[in-house]
Amino acid sequence: MRRWPIAAGITFAALAVGVVVVDLPWLAGAGRGEVLGRYCVECHNDLERAGDVSFESLDREDLGGHADVWEAAVRKLRTGLMPPLGEPRPDRAVLDAFAASLEAGLDDAWARAPNPGTRPLARLNRTEYANAIRDLLAYDASAIAGTLPPDATVAGFDNNAEGLSVSPTLLEGYATAAMQISRRAVGDRTMGHGETRYTATPGAAQRLAVDGLPLGTRGGLAVQHNFPLDATYEFVVSAAIPAAGWDNPTGALVYCDGPQVDVTFNGAPVAVENPRRFRLRVPAGPQRITVALLDDRRCSGVNELYQGEVALGGAVQALTIDGPFDATDAGDTPSRREIFRCRPASSADELVCVEQILSRLATRAYRRPVGAGSAELAQLKRFYASGREEGGDFEAGIQYALSRLLVDPRFLYRFEREPDDVAVGAVYAIDGYELASRLSFFLWSSIPDDELLALAADGRLDEPAVLAAQVDRMLADARASALVENFASQWLLLRELDTVVPQDPDFDDGLRAAMRQETEMLFTDLIREPRSVLALLDADYTYLNERLAAHYGVPGIRGSQMRRVEWPEASPRRGILGHASVLTATSAPNRTSPVKRGQWLMQSLLGAKIPRPPPGAEADLSAEASKSAGLVGDTVRARLELHRASPNCAGCHGIMDPLGLSLENFDLLGRWRDSEDGHAIDAAARMVDGTALSGPQDLREALLARSDAFVSTFAERLMTYAMGRELTAADMPVVRGVVRAAAADDNTLRALVQAIVASDSFQKRVKTGDAPVPN
Amino acid sequence: MRYLTKKHLSRRTLLRGAGVALGLPLLESMIPAAMRRAWAAGMPPKRVAFMYLAHGAVMDRWLPSGTSGDLVLGPTMQSLGSWRNRLSIVSGLRLPAAYVGEQTAGANHTRASRCWLTCAPLETGASPTSADQAAAAHIGQDTPLPSLELALESGESIAYRTPTTPLPMETNPRVVFERLFGDGSTPGERAARQRQFASLLDAVAGEVAPLQRSLPAADRARLDRYLTDIRELERRLALAGDSTLAELDVPDKPNGIPADFEEHANLMFDLLAVAWQADLTRVATLLLARELSNRVYPRSGITEGFHNCSHHSGVPANIDRLARLNEYHTRATIASLLQKLASTPDGDGNLLDHVLVVYGSGLSNANQHDHDPLPMIVAGGAGGVRGGRHVAVPEGTPAANLLLGVLQKLDVPVTSFADSTGVVEI
Repeated sequence: MRRWPIAAGITFAALAVGVVVVDLPWLAGAGRGEVLGRYCVECHNDLERAGDVSFESLDREDLGGHADVWEAAVRKLRTGLMPPLGEPRPDRAVLDAFAASLEAGLDDAWARAPNPGTRPLARLNRTEYANAIRDLLAYDASAIAGTLPPDATVAGFDNNAEGLSVSPTLLEGYATAAMQISRRAVGDRTMGHGETRYTATPGAAQRLAVDGLPLGTRGGLAVQHNFPLDATYEFVVSAAIPAAGWDNPTGALVYCDGPQVDVTFNGAPVAVENPRRFRLRVPAGPQRITVALLDDRRCSGVNELYQGEVALGGAVQALTIDGPFDATDAGDTPSRREIFRCRPASSADELVCVEQILSRLATRAYRRPVGAGSAELAQLKRFYASGREEGGDFEAGIQYALSRLLVDPRFLYRFEREPDDVAVGAVYAIDGYELASRLSFFLWSSIPDDELLALAADGRLDEPAVLAAQVDRMLADARASALVENFASQWLLLRELDTVVPQDPDFDDGLRAAMRQETEMLFTDLIREPRSVLALLDADYTYLNERLAAHYGVPGIRGSQMRRVEWPEASPRRGILGHASVLTATSAPNRTSPVKRGQWLMQSLLGAKIPRPPPGAEADLSAEASKSAGLVGDTVRARLELHRASPNCAGCHGIMDPLGLSLENFDLLGRWRDSEDGHAIDAAARMVDGTALSGPQDLREALLARSDAFVSTFAERLMTYAMGRELTAADMPVVRGVVRAAAADDNTLRALVQAIVASDSFQKRVKTGDAPVPN
Repeated sequence: MRYLTKKHLSRRTLLRGAGVALGLPLLESMIPAAMRRAWAAGMPPKRVAFMYLAHGAVMDRWLPSGTSGDLVLGPTMQSLGSWRNRLSIVSGLRLPAAYVGEQTAGANHTRASRCWLTCAPLETGASPTSADQAAAAHIGQDTPLPSLELALESGESIAYRTPTTPLPMETNPRVVFERLFGDGSTPGERAARQRQFASLLDAVAGEVAPLQRSLPAADRARLDRYLTDIRELERRLALAGDSTLAELDVPDKPNGIPADFEEHANLMFDLLAVAWQADLTRVATLLLARELSNRVYPRSGITEGFHNCSHHSGVPANIDRLARLNEYHTRATIASLLQKLASTPDGDGNLLDHVLVVYGSGLSNANQHDHDPLPMIVAGGAGGVRGGRHVAVPEGTPAANLLLGVLQKLDVPVTSFADSTGVVEI
């Protein structure tokens, strides 16, 4: 029995295509008033202003005047947070149709006065800085960039302009980094020696063969070290190696002299007298060095044989590389090949070559042409001259000029200029170079390459076909992994996973890494394959190695390499809701947290905005606390029910907790469990719209049934990341446009990216001129 | 040459072999002898540190019992026994600013640390806003670093240069080390790099004005901040040029962030002590644990995360557990720092004689997110401050009154600070 038969039909269509854009005469204007009057205005009126919102005196025909209020209402409706639990609530179909009508009104108002907003001036964040150096100089500066102060996260991402402020400390860091990077990339023969210490993964990993290390070894580590010069380097292997006669707990005597350390250099074994401390001549450039313990007792790489084995004596702890000593030459490194595209044959050639090198580097670093005769080039040449004088040669001059280039605001900041011939308040298209930068920082977290800059120079980048082809090219490029490392890792909590410390003996860094990789690899498939982003919710496969497979109880997977594994139709593991990464990151250190899981699902996957609990409202859900309080709740669930019984809490928790509770079969590390402390797990829950859930499979089905909410939220998060700013009400019509466009193309990640890039928000700005500074 | 450069200590002795854990116990011997003599003759400068610990404390076990008078340490403070006469505990303070704004749990936590030294509601107040920066504006201008911001875990800063400019806090001892001692292995190299550094700043400062054109006002303001910061760095650089920095014999660098909390803390305390001793800075802030941190401290024997632990729900066993954590933090942080300072010679005595350390939290009973009565300690003897006292102020006295008292002891010419209504005499 439906009171609104029309609405039901419309909503059916809406679910099929994603988002409704239909004008319903009965819901427009006066019709909106009817729903508002019946279900909303009782609290949201001018007198009560519940949540500081009143619809009473708002214009219900033209929604553009209060777009922020209406967009907030749409969000509450779409995510089921309003009307509140316990208050009269019409059918889902009526609410959807009402939300759709508001969306249509808002989109309509936007179309009449498009507002793409601006992109605030932002500096590069640490990741972008390191990537830019990599692409500019073929030099891996991640270690140096890692010493810059960390970037703040705003609206979920660390590329948000609001979080990217400067401070004297940060500037000092940039200037110091510029000097260090330029010296190392050029190969400064006067540089002093320094130590770099690489630590091996401690714990169980040291008892097993490590992937990529020679057969017949166990534990250890492999590092790619950037050797700055052709020189001698000292290597110190720190290892805990049992003394002769070390007795293992089984009583058997093993390793009379302690295990041998095995060293390889770029894959070839190295014979050294004392493998714990030795010196080698090493050519400049990135080289791979591995150290491990010789394991002559067992077949290496077959972890099965290790099952049940007691801890073996000895483990590699760290590798320290000290140098350079007795440097002979700067050598032939990737960064030197990238920088020194020419060499002056005579002093007459010198300036020509210097200009050639510097104008090429500056054009790429500043992301717009820096030609002969420009003021920018003159600046760099002045630095070349003083460096040449101070250091005595051509290379010293280039090094100085390079350090100057790396602290230039044109490099460190992403400038977008306002044209003089546009009126304040008018919308204009950003120029080709600015568009090239927006693209490259969005998809690569780095500077544009030569092809993008060339298209910008030709004025062709904004041609739709050219732009679309470039997006496809960029997504196919290896640098697009930045979307996984920076977008997905922040959205899907993988960065949180890096720092959690679950109090569980099964957890170690090897498991942490496998968890992270599983989710990264699934997301990578979205970039590489034309696959709907809904695969994140219900992929019928995943990637596992032996460690993670054992964790999931999947038999027959051997070795540390991640490989593809198919899930059966009914598997609770399908999609990221079955990924240990997400499940661990949303747990407390010593128990599951259905609240945290539910809240994350609601906010990050379904797009709800949930207010924080009032002061003093948190409850201690640990077993320890309940026991000492004499509470009867023996499982997290039971304890949670106690706290949800409070009417203060139920408003939000009644909506988000059921989602988290349906995942209770996954423990704090995402392992499957049927009981907790001897009590059977009860994963039954009822969603706010009445849908009954009895476990992860049901939750997945329910999310898929509302897949429009997931796709919209994906689009919203991706666009927030692409723009580097928080989205406002003025952006939501654009987001809906992106979702519609993607829906027509099977909701692929490519389609979402293409639609974002094609949008006004991405290609245009509003000129704000001298308008007062916000905040 | 102003000072003798003497290789007091082998570059290899420090961190080689036993790893970072060794810390820098002998750094004192690397301070040029002449500098110590100079202070021995006169009076060493006054220095100050503000140390923040999240989530308040179990107050009835933390505070001394009774009213003002001789200090009798509470049960969780026993590890401070040896320093009883060098510190005072102030009870009854309140942080009114932390009550202003959204009344939600998260916001309450955030404000507890953000308002602790500003005593002003978020994004309001005068500039500079935090007490450490007010101190730095007066006693920090003659050192290469006006202030040093350190942290044992990343989190929101407690130091605010202006109401909207938090100063980033550094967690990596290696980076702190490089900021203090510079990059380069010989005096000649350090000098050459300092010249390059200075000319870089100078050149970039000149670039900003032309770039301002054709930017919207909001972006111009952002770029202005960049320019201001360059000028500030140039000023500091000039100071560093006058200091003994170039002549310091620099030891090997720490390798990174130790995983162990106590090792990390001690390394930072060592660096702070040497920075004070060499007069590289006089003002420091140190975030020991950030609000909402769920860090687990394995050596405390408690496996629950810190934030969860602070929500004890009034359950006796949970209160005991939090009290144990309070006891651990006291022992591993403030007690350890005081030990370090008292054993570091400075002028006619030791560092503890010439510094003030303010240690506390912006929360009281974190279970309820109360911002009063705050746990607050003042230790050290700068400005003639004497310890061994329990200073019980009337309930609800603004914490700013204590900060004002501290600033005045440091000779900062202020008669009020933020919402102060008077001075707490320490």
